[in-house]
Amino acid sequence: MDEGMKDQDASSSAPESMSRRRFLSLMAASAAATSACASPDRDTIVPYTKKPSDVVPGVANHYASTYQEGLVAYGVLVKAREGRPIHIEGNDEHPIFAGKTSHRAQAEIMGLYDAERLREPRLGGAPASWEKAQAAVAAALEKAARERKPVLLLTPAVISPARRAAIAALGRVLPGLRHVAWEPALSATERAAAEALYGTPVAPRYRVERAKVLALFEADLLGSMDAAVPAVAGYARGRMPSRPGEPLSRLYAFESRLSLTGTKADARVPVRPSAAAPLAFAVARLLHERHGLALPAGLSAGDLAPFRADRVAKRWGADPAVLSALARDLARAGRESLAVAGPSLPEEAHAAAGLLNAMLGAEGYTLEAAHSVDPGPLASPAEMARLARELAEGKYAAAVFWETNPSYAVSDADGFGAALDKTPLKVCLGLREDETSRRCDAVLPVNHWLESWSDYEASTDLLALQQPLIQPLYDTKQGEEIILGWVKALGAPVETDPRAGLMARWRREVYPVGTLASFDEFWTAAVHDGVLRRDAAARAPRRLRGSAVASSAKKAAAARPGGLELLLEPDYKVWDGRYAGNGWLQELPDPVAKVCWGNFLSVSGADAKTFGLSDGDVAAVKVGGRSVELPVLVQPGQAAGAVFAALGYGRQGDVASGCGASVYPLVADDGSAPFLRSGVSVSGTGARRPLVRSQQEFGLHDRDIVRLWTPGEYARRAKTPEDTEELATLNDEPRWGEHKWGMAIDLSACVGCAGCQVACQSENNVAVVGPEQAARGRNMHWIRNDVYFVGDPANPQVAHEVMLCQQCDDAPCEPVCPVAASVHSEDGLNEQVYNRCIGVRYCEANCPYGARRFNFFDYTSSIQDPAELAFNPEVSVRPRGVAEKCTFCVQRIRNGEQIAKDEGRPLRDGDIRPACAAACPAEAIVFGDLKDPNSRVSRLARSDRGYKVLRELGTRPAVTYLAELKNPAEEKTI
Amino acid sequence: MSSLPESLREKPLVEGRVSLADLDEHVQSLSETNPPRSWYVAVSITSLVALVGLSTVGYMVSHGIGTMGNNEPVVWGFPIVNFVFWVGIGHAGTLISVILLLYRQRWRNAISRTAEAVTVFAFICAMMFPAIHIGRPWMPHWLLPYPNSRGMWIDFRSPLIWDVFAVFTYFGVSILFWYMGLIPDLASLRGRTKSKVKRAVYGLLSWGWVGDARHWLQYEKAYLILAGLTTTLALSVHSIVSMDFAASILPGWHMTIFPPYFVVGAAFSGFAGVVIVFAFVRTTMKLEGYITMRHMDLLNKMVLFLSCVMTYAYIMEGFTAWYSSNVFDRYIFANYVFGDQWWAGCLTIFCNCVLPQLLWFPKMRRSVPAMVTVAAGVTLGMWFERYTILILSLHRGYLPATWGTFRPTIVDAGILVGSIGIFLTLLLLFLKNMPIIAAWEVKPDIVHYQKDAEVEHA
Repeated sequence: MDEGMKDQDASSSAPESMSRRRFLSLMAASAAATSACASPDRDTIVPYTKKPSDVVPGVANHYASTYQEGLVAYGVLVKAREGRPIHIEGNDEHPIFAGKTSHRAQAEIMGLYDAERLREPRLGGAPASWEKAQAAVAAALEKAARERKPVLLLTPAVISPARRAAIAALGRVLPGLRHVAWEPALSATERAAAEALYGTPVAPRYRVERAKVLALFEADLLGSMDAAVPAVAGYARGRMPSRPGEPLSRLYAFESRLSLTGTKADARVPVRPSAAAPLAFAVARLLHERHGLALPAGLSAGDLAPFRADRVAKRWGADPAVLSALARDLARAGRESLAVAGPSLPEEAHAAAGLLNAMLGAEGYTLEAAHSVDPGPLASPAEMARLARELAEGKYAAAVFWETNPSYAVSDADGFGAALDKTPLKVCLGLREDETSRRCDAVLPVNHWLESWSDYEASTDLLALQQPLIQPLYDTKQGEEIILGWVKALGAPVETDPRAGLMARWRREVYPVGTLASFDEFWTAAVHDGVLRRDAAARAPRRLRGSAVASSAKKAAAARPGGLELLLEPDYKVWDGRYAGNGWLQELPDPVAKVCWGNFLSVSGADAKTFGLSDGDVAAVKVGGRSVELPVLVQPGQAAGAVFAALGYGRQGDVASGCGASVYPLVADDGSAPFLRSGVSVSGTGARRPLVRSQQEFGLHDRDIVRLWTPGEYARRAKTPEDTEELATLNDEPRWGEHKWGMAIDLSACVGCAGCQVACQSENNVAVVGPEQAARGRNMHWIRNDVYFVGDPANPQVAHEVMLCQQCDDAPCEPVCPVAASVHSEDGLNEQVYNRCIGVRYCEANCPYGARRFNFFDYTSSIQDPAELAFNPEVSVRPRGVAEKCTFCVQRIRNGEQIAKDEGRPLRDGDIRPACAAACPAEAIVFGDLKDPNSRVSRLARSDRGYKVLRELGTRPAVTYLAELKNPAEEKTI
Repeated sequence: MSSLPESLREKPLVEGRVSLADLDEHVQSLSETNPPRSWYVAVSITSLVALVGLSTVGYMVSHGIGTMGNNEPVVWGFPIVNFVFWVGIGHAGTLISVILLLYRQRWRNAISRTAEAVTVFAFICAMMFPAIHIGRPWMPHWLLPYPNSRGMWIDFRSPLIWDVFAVFTYFGVSILFWYMGLIPDLASLRGRTKSKVKRAVYGLLSWGWVGDARHWLQYEKAYLILAGLTTTLALSVHSIVSMDFAASILPGWHMTIFPPYFVVGAAFSGFAGVVIVFAFVRTTMKLEGYITMRHMDLLNKMVLFLSCVMTYAYIMEGFTAWYSSNVFDRYIFANYVFGDQWWAGCLTIFCNCVLPQLLWFPKMRRSVPAMVTVAAGVTLGMWFERYTILILSLHRGYLPATWGTFRPTIVDAGILVGSIGIFLTLLLLFLKNMPIIAAWEVKPDIVHYQKDAEVEHA
């Protein structure tokens, strides 16, 4: 029997008995509830007696805020309707993010309305009042302070001055406080390497838009790395030529796993991770010997002698021609180049990449550290293991875990848990019930960031503010308030209210002396913008220490390809595991492997043959005495001799349980590269765990549906007439009204980041169907990122194709609908009338783009309270049994038209942006009026790279795709 | 007659010497006597299966289409396969009754009544499927054009609407034709019965038929006219069902050959179904004298003929796909027999093209086990043909990224088996309660051949 249908019985909820009074009250309430949906206070819906001045029912408000993830503080703009945050986009005012944000930040709407959030403080497992809970913790801390016993405070990376101030205040009253900042999925290697190589730990900002040549070593710069969003924007800028012959950037990727960045590479070299350092040194040697670039002081040519390009290439299985091409391109580009070593790589690789940057003069140009902020040290897995030992020894009087989950994310989670039990008082400040909170004596629920006040130091010249969008949904407090509450209880006078405290500190420290505006004006402007630019002295450019490089070179020269290597990286979707309870992210397909609801072991075809394993076979991955079982995915492009797995799965929780397995046990407790293991063994267990994949076929089968061109092909094929001329039709030529909406998607800019998918899901109330349904092929995404592999499976060319309803002028779905539920609007939209639809699904069978989705069950009835608050009231929630699809965000179109009408002006190009286009960090999706010949979309629709998918069917799509350009060093036909 | 050479002389359509009274006694008494225990056993089993099927339908309707195996991209699954399958089974009745009548094939007289019943019951099964497969199965009436408060009208451009009209018309006319043929026999049942209740019921159903010459004159004319009208429907209904597919743009569906190909396929599976029914009916109900081996032989010849036409259609379809040089069409046809579900396409070809070739041998055409094996094979093969066309086309659409796999669920199986239960239950009830041979049509044959025989003897 189909397991997917639990909790989906539409008829199971028996209606309550309906009295006349109740009926009338419901009728009255329903009018008000149409836009408010169901809120926790649904029983007392009354009109405002005093209407908040800025809340107009039916009109959205947008507020700037900031969201921290790891070392990144995303500037976001949050859309709220009637006081409910419902959608997150990037903050236009933010100089780095420039209106864009990551898919994970967007999905935080689900995080806010997560049914698994902690709702009240608990002491010893029983609900307690805040006073009692706080008093209990404060008493224990006071005792520890008296007895001068150490207290542990474990937090994520602290990049917020507000949080830093709170921790400092606690440290003042609690001399034994030991604060440890820890990000389980972030490598501490990079910072250590920077310290050794440059004498400063600060991380530079990558200015990808300035780079003509990128040399990436196991660095998923456009995907899972911290700086991905601005990197994608910068990368895309160099990839959108409007005519043949315009310069294109060139991306070289040396990597083991097929990363998102690797899929966009112009030259991709699949090599094992430990090849990165020798290969980069070989390129440096070529630069020095062949192109005459000087070596930094302290490094002699002799140090590079072991790295003869042909030998190194041969040893590590790379093509020597690619190395010399890279060296030539780098030499030509000079400072307009960028070399990056991935965060998981050991220090040698960072030294080698740093050497390339230094030789090319890229330091200070494509790598900018002038205003970088040092986030402070992060605990490495080795330090966490030491901490576990200390805990086991009972060293700490109390341990406080602030939004961190070591009982899950350390490599020996069980050992950590057992060690934890030796501490008399364990306190958890957390958002959700998790593996750590279950072991804690006091569980103090904290506000979600959309309920909090804080500030972030993005760089020395940029402060970002976080403001709450909504009153706390539950009986929670902001973390800083809890901590400062202890400080106050321990006798130090502090302001515990987060907003008052933040304002006081800003008045003291940020408000510039001699400003003409009053502090209130200054503050209001900063809160409005979400960011504050400040003057700050630029730090002198970092200088590479040649001697440090020399010692790294020695290590790299000694390296030889050995046994199987394992690379571990934070997952693209659930990251270090913190989003494992987020249905949007769990169901989002991995951008390359298209796996949802779990992780997998990425294995090359050659290795899979050796192991005797195929897709879905469960393999035991053993290293360092620990073993993890994961289903295998034979990944084209994965380097032989190396396997890859994503961190962040195997969590416990309503949503997360059963999704994948935790690979944290495989993280090394020692060494400088804990996320890179060698001497790994992989063996079959005989079990099978079929992967849930949203896409099953990756071959093109000779179909001209996606175009990958080299610049030469571009010049040859640009604007062949058959690409743009419409086919003859027997139907009447359509007559459009005032507008004819259309879209252009530049596949050259699109990196397949899936930001559009989450944006669409949030904007259009797209249902989450769960792993069983997804395994049956019933995902509801209105917009997909299709991936195709072309050529050699060992190292294929990869094409991304964003696919959504093409709003065809001659839409095949329309005439086949027997009940006229699929109709065409006069502005060119293919409309789906849900009320009319009876679900014959002919429209879906007849859609060549597979753009339509069907509600096989009542997917919304299984939504757990309060997730329905995340619904966009402007978009119908679809019932069971109807077909649905992309509408080009018709609600945004109508909204834009209305605003223009209200303001008595014609619509301007760019007034209307569908959610996908607004979210696209590459600006690859452009929407607009095709009737206006000067609109951006019209110009792109006439592009000489333009083509329509399946044009030969005569569907006349309103979406024009622009061919993707690959820019290989040696021109050959792809 | 007797001057004709033996080989050209029409063989008698009844075996043994039967009088008109024997026929009445044999056929019409069936509804007057209690059936054997085996009938009760059979009907209990089939109605239980039907009940299970209907409960499965209830479960599916209350929970959602998702309880079946349908997904993206295979949005049409078992229900539509079953629909096309049952519409096909329902084709032999009309062809036998109508087209053979117009061709004056007198051998159809003995089998037409039951064949028509098969048509009606198969259509009852068929019509259930489109209604339950829709996403909101509580509103199939939205497919009908009637004035309504919604202010909505159906879209006549949709092949599904054509389908609704075609199926309803065919079903209505089939019932009418079947019922009209029943009138004289119902009248004679009325005359024979001793129960007052039965007499009243039969009397009502036979519309006061007394069988005078004027009745017969008008009746036979009307019967022939109705037959003429029904002929067009026998060809149109499956043509239009095929347009559900042919009018789409999906590779594997978008084929001009579909209308004739579907009609032939329907007749093919229909004849196979009729062969199975008669193979059992004639022995269990001891009707070998009326439904003779000659009848079976002729039915099997039809099966063989239609198999050859089907084989030709398959070859043409494949040739067209290849000759078109269309990558999508070429791929989909190769996928039918070489793809991940190659067995479905290969089974179709084996059952529909290879197996029926046995019927070239007269011995096979006259062996009950052989003909039942072939007919069952054809029935299975034709079900899989629809499975291949529907599901294997849908799961390999235009964009490879949309390709998926289809896995049926137990609900799919339950509803399919249940529909067979419904069909057999209705058939068993018919066999018990109705005159299963059109006595009024067979009687002239008896008179005719007895005269012949008497002449010869004299």
